[in-house]
Amino acid sequence: MLDPASPVRGNYEELAANLLKLERTASVVVTSPDPGAGRTSVCLGLGAALAGMGRRAAVVDCNLENAQLHRVLGEPNFVGLTSGFDDGKTLEHYGHEIIPGLLVVPTGPVLLDPASLLEDEGVKKAVRGLRKSRDLVLLDAPVAGRVLRSPNLLGGFDGVLLVVHASRTPKSVARETADDLLEAGVNLLGVVLNGCS
Amino acid sequence: MLVLGVVLVLVGIALFFGFIREPVYTAEARVSVRPQEELDGEEARFAFLEQVRGAVVTKKMLSEVRRRAGWEASPKAFSERLDPRPVVNTGSGPGLQIRFSANEPGQAARAANAYAELFVRGIENLDGRPPADGAPVAQAAVAQRAVPGSYSPRPLIYAAIAAGAGLLVGGAAALILEGRASGWRGVRDAELTLRVPVLGTIPDYSPKKTEG
Repeated sequence: MLDPASPVRGNYEELAANLLKLERTASVVVTSPDPGAGRTSVCLGLGAALAGMGRRAAVVDCNLENAQLHRVLGEPNFVGLTSGFDDGKTLEHYGHEIIPGLLVVPTGPVLLDPASLLEDEGVKKAVRGLRKSRDLVLLDAPVAGRVLRSPNLLGGFDGVLLVVHASRTPKSVARETADDLLEAGVNLLGVVLNGCS
Repeated sequence: MLVLGVVLVLVGIALFFGFIREPVYTAEARVSVRPQEELDGEEARFAFLEQVRGAVVTKKMLSEVRRRAGWEASPKAFSERLDPRPVVNTGSGPGLQIRFSANEPGQAARAANAYAELFVRGIENLDGRPPADGAPVAQAAVAQRAVPGSYSPRPLIYAAIAAGAGLLVGGAAALILEGRASGWRGVRDAELTLRVPVLGTIPDYSPKKTEG
């Protein structure tokens, strides 16, 4: 999905173009109704497409309970989002560009309760700091049920993108999730239908 | 397709059982019964009719009704198909409405008419004496003779009910299955289901897509 010659690059570019048409999309929480919908893949594919379109993008792993980004990339998780909470440095220092224009920031070490860490003001501060250097920050978030319990993820950023898997996500679950997000007052930007045949 | 299938199955079952059962014809006769003195209120008229019926209808009379109707089955089956009801609010005054259901239209009419005629004759045999402690009868006559009854289209009624039930059951099943379905038919399907715009679709190509 990072390769410009990937067969799905065009799909990600279309997604990126549609996202950029919307207002206030500098920081987007990417979630899904249930695990396995492909949130991390979509974050990386979308980030790569944005970078390929000349935008400076970042993917930050906010899934502190079940970090995936570093696993997908086959990289260590020694530093990342949690490292930047207190020392004043921006997340640019705790991630790296996997392709020109796309910064990836893993969770970093999660030594405390992930739920309380996620509600730390440091998360918002860290992402806000990143927005100065990045056109668009994608937050690879936990599943929607967890997002709904997190005031930081619900209201701390510009909007939410919902990833639905075409063959794994039951319609009723997806519908319920979309309704719950809208009822919670979230700026639900749209849906990505992943894994289409 | 599911709804149509359920409707067809239920209608088929209803028609099958409706047609293998014997058809039912119903005939109706009426007898008017006037008391010698005017009775006040429905309750009094109803009680009067019941007293008359109690005095007139005997096992012997019913046996004669069966004979005239050509009834060959059991007396119990005959009683189940016979439905005599007191009526007090008709234009011809109080009386008895006699309905009989049979597998042949002629037999239904014969039974209803025989009952009506023998009922009137029984009243005439009272010779003006009051039945039990009730009012004496002034006049009794067959007000309406039964004609061979029309066919009761029960199979069609059952089929219509089955079609309605099929629509409900099939519709409910379709809704439940649709809700549980995990297959999305495309962007339009997703937008209609979620009422949120689909910003992109990503084809399933990657061998490793189990993360996040």
